[in-house]
Amino acid sequence: MAQPTTLQPPAASATQDAPRTGTWDGGNEPFKASYGKLMMWFFLLSDAFTFAAFLTTYGMIRHKHEVFTGEAKDFVFSTRWWPIPDHVFNAFPGMGDANVPLGFVALMTMILILSSVTMVLAVEAGHRMDKADVQKWLLWTILFGSIFLCSQAWEWSHFIHGHTEGTLMADGTVFHGANLAMNQYGPVLFADLFFFITGFHGTHVFSGVCLLIWCFIATTNGTFEKRGHYEMVEKIGLYWHFVDLVWVFVFTFFYLV
Amino acid sequence: MASHATTEQPLAPGEIAKPNTAWIWRVFGILVGITAIEFVFAFLMHPSTLRNSIFIILTIFKAFFIVAEFMHLKHETKGLIWTILVPVALLIWLLVALITEGSFIGEVLENMFK
Repeated sequence: MAQPTTLQPPAASATQDAPRTGTWDGGNEPFKASYGKLMMWFFLLSDAFTFAAFLTTYGMIRHKHEVFTGEAKDFVFSTRWWPIPDHVFNAFPGMGDANVPLGFVALMTMILILSSVTMVLAVEAGHRMDKADVQKWLLWTILFGSIFLCSQAWEWSHFIHGHTEGTLMADGTVFHGANLAMNQYGPVLFADLFFFITGFHGTHVFSGVCLLIWCFIATTNGTFEKRGHYEMVEKIGLYWHFVDLVWVFVFTFFYLV
Repeated sequence: MASHATTEQPLAPGEIAKPNTAWIWRVFGILVGITAIEFVFAFLMHPSTLRNSIFIILTIFKAFFIVAEFMHLKHETKGLIWTILVPVALLIWLLVALITEGSFIGEVLENMFK
């Protein structure tokens, strides 16, 4: 009987390895997450490196400076020592020179945590393919994100213009507020780090709000409904929660410690 | 992707499932509670290494709830969890190392001309 012309595996193939089907042998998804979501995670990891570099720099520079050792009520601003945060961030919009230590930053923290919650609610609505709910929660998230940005603008403006009393500088003049070269609160680097760290975080919030607005428009146009899933809302949600996460750390290291 | 346990009922076409949001509001309550505790410590305790340690531990708790629940990492595969956590652990090492270095530099500068 003639051999068939098609290629046959040799008889020895019975002893060859069967195709491997282990987790890392290819052809499957070991992390059980889509490409887009994995890449968002890795982007966020790299972004965490950037923020960690900022906070590490902050920690190192702060520890390099002298600490004010007296009673907190005797504290005065000086370039000699690092300022106590309650004394720097104690203003509230519309309350003039009233002393509300950390009041405004507490409000900002609440707003950002709340925006994170509305974001999860949008993702949850996406899982249920509930277009109206996704739209509703995305709008709330955009609203809270925008309020946070406005609050930060106020915070910066107050920090730059300064407290009414100002600080007596070494040359005898009184200086109010802060810029990159001089500030009334303490060492030059204190204001520089404030601008860089909260500014970089604010830029992230701003990008997040832009992404959310785009996402809202796409949801309204039915893009995700046609696609059959709302994974884009999930990916932008990951980014948004990361921004909230960074704020949690900035809040602790800049305002509390 | 693993999802939160829901009693899945087969849906008629065009029907939308009931929201399952109790867990979201529970996590929100925890986050607000931890922030409130941080403020209690900020106002009732004098600044000290102990107070700073309390702040950092509470911050890590908050970070855990945001990453595990809101970012859903707790419900992902083990491989993905470790991929994220291991580099972050190295970052914390860097943070501790450079803060120690900062204290040392400060001490050297202060005592340079003594």
